[in-house]
Amino acid sequence: MTNTAANSDNSKNFINIERPWKEMLSGSVASITLTFVIVIALGLILVGPRFLSFSNVSIMGNYLIIPLVVGAFAGFALLSGVVDLSIGSMVGFSTALMALLLNQDWGIMSAGLVTLVFCMFFGGINAICIVGFGAGPIPTTLGMLTALRGITWLICGPAYTIPAFNLKLFTIVNHRFLGIPTFFLVGLLLTLIITLIVSKSRVGRHIKAVGGDEQAAERAGISVKGVRVLALILSALGAGIGGIIMVAQITSATRMAGFGLEFEVYAALMIGGYSILRGGVGNPLGGALGILVVGALGNVIDLTASSSYYTNIIVGILLLSAVYLDRLRGGDSYD
Amino acid sequence: MRLEHAIKPESSMSTLLWLRFRAFSAPIFLLTVWLLLIIATAIYRPDFISYQTLLAVVFTMSIVGVLAIGQALVTISGGFLDLSQPSCLIFASFVSVKLSEAGMPFIIVILGAIITGVIVGAINALIIVLARLNPIIVTLATNFIGLAVLFLLFRAAEVPIGSEIHTFGRAYFLGLPATWWPMLILIFIVGLLIHQTRYGRQTIAVGGNLYAAQTRGISLKKTRFLIFSIAGGFVGFAAILFCSASGPFNSDSANILQLNVIAAVILAGISLEGGRGHLWMLFLSVGLLSTVPTSLVFFGLSSDAQAIFQGLILILAVTFDGYRSRKVTL
Amino acid sequence: MTKFIKTFVFSVVGIFLISSSANAFKLGMAVGGHACCEWMKSQGDVARAIAEKKGWDYFELSNEGDSATSVKNAQLFVQEGVDAVIQFNGEPGTNAAIQQILGAAGIPVVTYDIAEEGMYFVGIDNLGAGIAGGEGLGKLVKEKWNCEPDLVVSAEGAGAGIVNTWRTGGMRTGLGNICPDIPAEKYKSFESNGDAAAGLAPARDLLAANPDAVRIAVVGLNDGGVLALVNAAEQLGRADEVMAWGQDGAFITGDNVNPRLVGSVFYFLEGYAVYAIRDVIDGIAAGNPPPVKWEAGDPASQVKPCPATAAEAQLVPVEAERVKQLLAAPIGTTAYDLFCAN
Repeated sequence: MTNTAANSDNSKNFINIERPWKEMLSGSVASITLTFVIVIALGLILVGPRFLSFSNVSIMGNYLIIPLVVGAFAGFALLSGVVDLSIGSMVGFSTALMALLLNQDWGIMSAGLVTLVFCMFFGGINAICIVGFGAGPIPTTLGMLTALRGITWLICGPAYTIPAFNLKLFTIVNHRFLGIPTFFLVGLLLTLIITLIVSKSRVGRHIKAVGGDEQAAERAGISVKGVRVLALILSALGAGIGGIIMVAQITSATRMAGFGLEFEVYAALMIGGYSILRGGVGNPLGGALGILVVGALGNVIDLTASSSYYTNIIVGILLLSAVYLDRLRGGDSYD
Repeated sequence: MRLEHAIKPESSMSTLLWLRFRAFSAPIFLLTVWLLLIIATAIYRPDFISYQTLLAVVFTMSIVGVLAIGQALVTISGGFLDLSQPSCLIFASFVSVKLSEAGMPFIIVILGAIITGVIVGAINALIIVLARLNPIIVTLATNFIGLAVLFLLFRAAEVPIGSEIHTFGRAYFLGLPATWWPMLILIFIVGLLIHQTRYGRQTIAVGGNLYAAQTRGISLKKTRFLIFSIAGGFVGFAAILFCSASGPFNSDSANILQLNVIAAVILAGISLEGGRGHLWMLFLSVGLLSTVPTSLVFFGLSSDAQAIFQGLILILAVTFDGYRSRKVTL
Repeated sequence: MTKFIKTFVFSVVGIFLISSSANAFKLGMAVGGHACCEWMKSQGDVARAIAEKKGWDYFELSNEGDSATSVKNAQLFVQEGVDAVIQFNGEPGTNAAIQQILGAAGIPVVTYDIAEEGMYFVGIDNLGAGIAGGEGLGKLVKEKWNCEPDLVVSAEGAGAGIVNTWRTGGMRTGLGNICPDIPAEKYKSFESNGDAAAGLAPARDLLAANPDAVRIAVVGLNDGGVLALVNAAEQLGRADEVMAWGQDGAFITGDNVNPRLVGSVFYFLEGYAVYAIRDVIDGIAAGNPPPVKWEAGDPASQVKPCPATAAEAQLVPVEAERVKQLLAAPIGTTAYDLFCAN
C-alpha cells in the first residue's frame, strides 16, 4: 500500500521517541499537543474555569478510561502494522461474558480471567487469519466485529441486558485518588509505560521495525509473524480489559455495549498521529492525547448545550486535518 | 503449474484446460458454495425452493448489488474501500423523498438521487485527490460527518405512498422485481465496459500499478476523481431502490448494508489491493450473500445467530483470498 | 473614587446575579438521542419550553443511545448543580449506576417508561399499552377473519430490551384475549430493530419461510417495526390481507399513512414533560417533593395510552403540529387531553 518512493524518505516517518519532550514540541506529537492546548483553551473560554475543575476532569477522565486502555493496546497493533477493527465488539463481548459470569455468582477474579482468556482466543483467531493466512486486516477484523456482535447478542439473550451490579467492582472503578479517578490515572500511567516500552525496550524497537519495514525487519532476524500475532492478541486483551471496566462502570451488559467504539478510538488515535494503514508510526503519547482531545471536545459540546452530533462533525474534520498534516510532514501520500 | 506439464507437448491441451479452469476457479467456487447452500436448505425444508424465496433473495440482491458495483469500482481502481456509502445513500434517499413530495416525475427523482450521489462522491474525490489522502480514512471521516449532518437534518423520512417511486419499489417486470433488473443490467454492463473501454482499462491500470499507469500518461488525478464521483452516482441510484420500498427511514438505516457490500466485493475476488477482479462476479457473490440470511431463517436460526454467520463468512472469504494471493505471489 | 464606585456597583450587580441564578430552579434533562425518533428530540424541546415559561434554568444532554454516555451525563448533572433530572434512558441497564450517582448527590430523578427503584416513574404502562393494542387488533381479526389468521407476526426490537417484551409480548397477550384459539405455531417473530427500513429484508425472509400465509396479523415494538412487514408483504405481492397494529403512533398521522396500518397506540411521547413537571418537578421546585413512586404499576405520574384505529388516528395532528399546540395550551394540559378522542 505504501509507494516505494515514499519509503525512501523513511527517516521522516519514524518517530523519535527517545526524547519525549523533544517529541512533544516537534514531530507528529507536536500537532496533537497543539490541538490539545487549543481544545483546553477553547474549553476554558467557552465553558469557564470549571472546565478544569477536579469534578469536570474526573468526569472526562471517567468516561475516557475505556478508550484510553483500549487505545493503548490497539496502538500496539497499529505500530506493528495491523489494524484490529473488532475491538468495539470485543469490548461488548467481554462485557456480556463478564456480566454473565458475575450474575452466576462467579468471583471477580475468576470471571475476569475467563473473560480475558476468551478475548485472547478470538484475538488469536484474528491472528491466525491475518498473519497465518495473509488475510487483509481490515476485512478480517470487520468480519470478527460482526461475528462477535452476534455472539454478544446471544449471550445477552432473551434478557437483552444482563444486570451485574457488583458493589465491590463499582466502588473500585469509581475510586478517586486526590480527586481524580484512579483508573484514569492508571490509564495514563499505562500509556507512559507503553511509551517507555516502545521507545526504550528491544521489544518496542522490534514492533516499530516490523510495522515500518517488514522486509528489513525480517532480514534483521525479527519474527514479523510473532510480533504481529502478539500485537493482535494484545489488542484483544486490551479490549477485554476495557469490557470488564465497562461492566464495573455501567453495572450491566447491554446488547449495544462498545458499538462504534472502534471508530471513536481509531479516529482519536489517528488524530494523535497513528496510521491505520502504515505501521511503525505513531506514539502512545500522541494516541492518548488524541483520545483526550476527543473527550475534551465532547465535554465542551455537552457543557455548552450544543447537540452532541456536532462533536462527530468536529472529530471528522480533525481527523482529516490530522491525516493531512501527517502527509505534509512526509507521511503516506496517496498518489 | 509444474514444469513437466509445460514442456510435455501431448499435455498442452490439458494444460490449457487446467489454466482455463484456474481462471474460472473463483466463480466455480462461489457457484458451488451457493448451490450447496440452496441444496442443504432445501433438504431441511423442501419449500425453500419456491417463487417467494426467489423473490425475497432477489429483492435483497438489488440494493446490495448496485452498492457493490460502486464499491468494486473504488476498490479496483486502487481506492481500497469507500466507507461513506451509508451516508451517501441516505443523503440521496432524502433528496428523492423531497423531490417525490414535490410531485416531480420519476425520472427527475432518479436524476436527483444520482446527482446527489455524484456530488457526495465528488466531495470525497476532491479531498482524496487534492489533499492526497488515503480513501479509507477520508471516507471514514466523511461518513462520520455525513451521518451527523443527516441526524441534524431529519429523523424520519418516507416516500409518498402512491408516488411513482413507491410503485416502482413494488412493481414487477417479467415476473421478477422491477428493482432487480437495473442491478442485473448494471452489473453486466459495467463489468463489460470496464474491460472493454479505454477508460475502464485505465481505471484498472491505476489500481494495479501506479507507476506503469503514470508512465503510460494516464492522469491519476482525473481517473481517481471520476471514479469516486461515478461510484457515488451508483450509490445515488441504489438510494432509489432503497427508499422506494423502505417505508420510513432515518440516518442510521443504511449502516447495516455496508458490511454485506464489502463482503460481496471481497468474495467476488476483487482484491483490496486493486487492479484485479471481474465485476460480473459480483452477481455471484451478492447472490450468495443475499441467500444466506433467508436460508438461516428457513433453518430456524435467530437473527443473532445470523450475524455470527455473516461475520464468519467474511472472515473465511478474506482468509481464503489472502491465502490464494499469497500462493500466487510466492 | 470612581474606581471604588465601579467596583461597588459591579459587586452588587454580581452578587444579585449570582444569588438570583442560585435561586433559579435548574432542570436537567437527558434525552434519548437515538437516530430513529423525532419524539426523542421533541421531548427535550417541550421540556425546555415549559422550563422557560416557568423561569427555570434548563440544561439538556443526550444519552446518545449509549450506556457509557448515560452514566457520564449523570455525573455532569451533579457537577452542573441541577436540582432535578428528567431522563429517557434507552439502555436501562445503567439505571442502577445512574441512581447511585444522582441519589448520592441528592438529586431527584424522573425516568420515562422504564422503572428503576428510587426514580420517579413517569410514563406509560408499556405492558398495558401493548395489551390494549393487541385487543384493538384482536377485535378486527375477529370481525374480519373470525379469529382465524394464517399468521401472527411479531416485529421485535430486541435493542429496546424490556420495553420490547412488554409492548410486543403485551400485544400478543391482548390479541390472545380476544382470539384465544389461535394455535401457537401461527405466532412467528422477526427482528425489525424497530425500524421499517432495517427490518425490511428480515421481514421478507420471514414471509418467504411462510409462503402460504395469506391472512397476516402484525404486532410489534412500534409503528416502524410493523411497517417493515407490511412493506415486505407489499413487495412480495401478499399485502391484500395484512392487518398491522403498531405502537407509539409515529407513522399513523398525516397524509402518508399506509392503509394496512389499521391502528396504533399513541403515547404522545413528545408531551411527557407536561406530566413530569406537573406531577413531580413542580413539587420539587416548590420545596415540596412528592413521594417517590417508582413502579410502573403505581407511578408518580401515569401517562394514559390512547389506542386508535387508523380512522381515529386521522383526526390526530402530526407530531410537529402537536408540539406547537401543546406549547400553546395552558401549562399542565396534556397531549392526551388535547388529542385523544376516546
